[in-house]
Amino acid sequence: MKFILSLFIILSSYISLAQNKTIVAGEKLTYSASYNMSGLLNELAQVTMETSEVNTSKSTLLKLKCTATTYSKWDNFFKIRDLYESYVSPKTLTPYLYNRDINEGGYEKFMKYTFSHRTKTVSSVMRKKRADGTTWEVKKEVKIGASTRDLVTTLYHLRNLDIHKANIGDSQNFTVLFDNKETIVRIKLLSKETLNTALGSKECYKLAISLNNSSILKGNNDNVIWITADDNKIPVFAKFKIAVGSGELKIKSATGLKY
Amino acid sequence: MKKLFLILGFTASILALILAVTPLFKIAFIPAIIALVFGVLTLILSKDKKQHKKPIQLVLLMTIIALVLTTYKTIYTTSEVGNTEQMEQKEEQLEEESIEELEGIEMDDIEMDDIDTH
Repeated sequence: MKFILSLFIILSSYISLAQNKTIVAGEKLTYSASYNMSGLLNELAQVTMETSEVNTSKSTLLKLKCTATTYSKWDNFFKIRDLYESYVSPKTLTPYLYNRDINEGGYEKFMKYTFSHRTKTVSSVMRKKRADGTTWEVKKEVKIGASTRDLVTTLYHLRNLDIHKANIGDSQNFTVLFDNKETIVRIKLLSKETLNTALGSKECYKLAISLNNSSILKGNNDNVIWITADDNKIPVFAKFKIAVGSGELKIKSATGLKY
Repeated sequence: MKKLFLILGFTASILALILAVTPLFKIAFIPAIIALVFGVLTLILSKDKKQHKKPIQLVLLMTIIALVLTTYKTIYTTSEVGNTEQMEQKEEQLEEESIEELEGIEMDDIEMDDIDTH
C-alpha cells in the first residue's frame, strides 16, 4: 500500500512538472540586443518574444513567436529580419509545428518542422535562396527522441521548470532540434542574484547555458541567462561571450504576464 | 621614436574616423583617445623642430572630427526599429499556411520528459 501511495505521489508530481503553469497567450517581452566592448554599449537589434492563441477547427493552440530586427541605423549595413515560431499545446507546451524564417544581410533561409510525436519523427522542409534569386527545397524525415523540442519551445520550457526545487550547481540537459540535428543543451543553476532591470530590481536565477561538442557556447559558464525568481520566470538579462567583448540581451518591457 | 608615434597616431586617427561613420560609432572613442595620446606625444617630442608640425596637425584634426562626430551621434542617435512591413506580411502568410497544415496533424497531447543529470 505504501509503495502504491509513494508511486502515486511520484507520478502526480511528475505530471505536474510537465504541465504549463507559466505561459499564457497575449504575453509580450521586448529586449534590446547589444554588443559591449570595454563598457561601450552598441545597440544592435530588438528581440521580441510573443505568445498568442491560434484556433484550428479541432483545437486551440498557443503560438510562440520570437523575432529579431536590427535597428534602422544598421539596416544599410547588415539588415536582420529573423522570425522563429512554434505552435504548441497550451496545456503541455508540446510542439507540433515550427517555422524559422531568417533574413540576415541578404541570406535567406526557411525551415519548417512538423512533429509527429507518436512515430517520434519530424518531417522537415528547408528552403534556401540562391545568389541568382531562385530557391531550392530539401525535404527530410528526421528521427527524434522522446524529449526533443525545437528552439523556441525549449526557451519557453525553461520558464516552466521548477527551478525553486533545484539546488545551486544542479544541471539539466535538453535536446533541441536545430538544422535537422539533435543538439544537447546543458543548463546549470549557478546562483541567485538580484539585478536592476527596466522592470525594477528583481531577484533572479543565474543559469549557465552550454552546448555539447560545439565550439560556440562552450561549457565554461561564459554564456549566462538571468531568469526572475518569481512565478513568471521571465528572462531579464543574458550575456554571451564573443571573441572581443560580449553580447548582451537586456529586457525593455514585459506585458500580458500571468502573475 | 617620433616617426613611430606619428605612424601609430595616424593609423589610430584614421580608424577612429572610419568607425565614427559606421553604426559602431561608440567604439571610435578607443582609437580616438589613442590617436590623441600619440599626437600629443609627437608634438611634445618635436617641440623645437618644425618639420613634423603638418602631419601632427592632421592627426589631431582627424581625431577631433572623429570625437565630435562620435559624441554628437552618441547623444542624438536613438535606437529605433526600421521597416518591418515585409516581415509582418511574411508572418501573416506563414500563420495562414501553418493553420492549414495544423488542421491535418494528429494532436496527441504527449507530455515530454527531460533527461536529468545532477
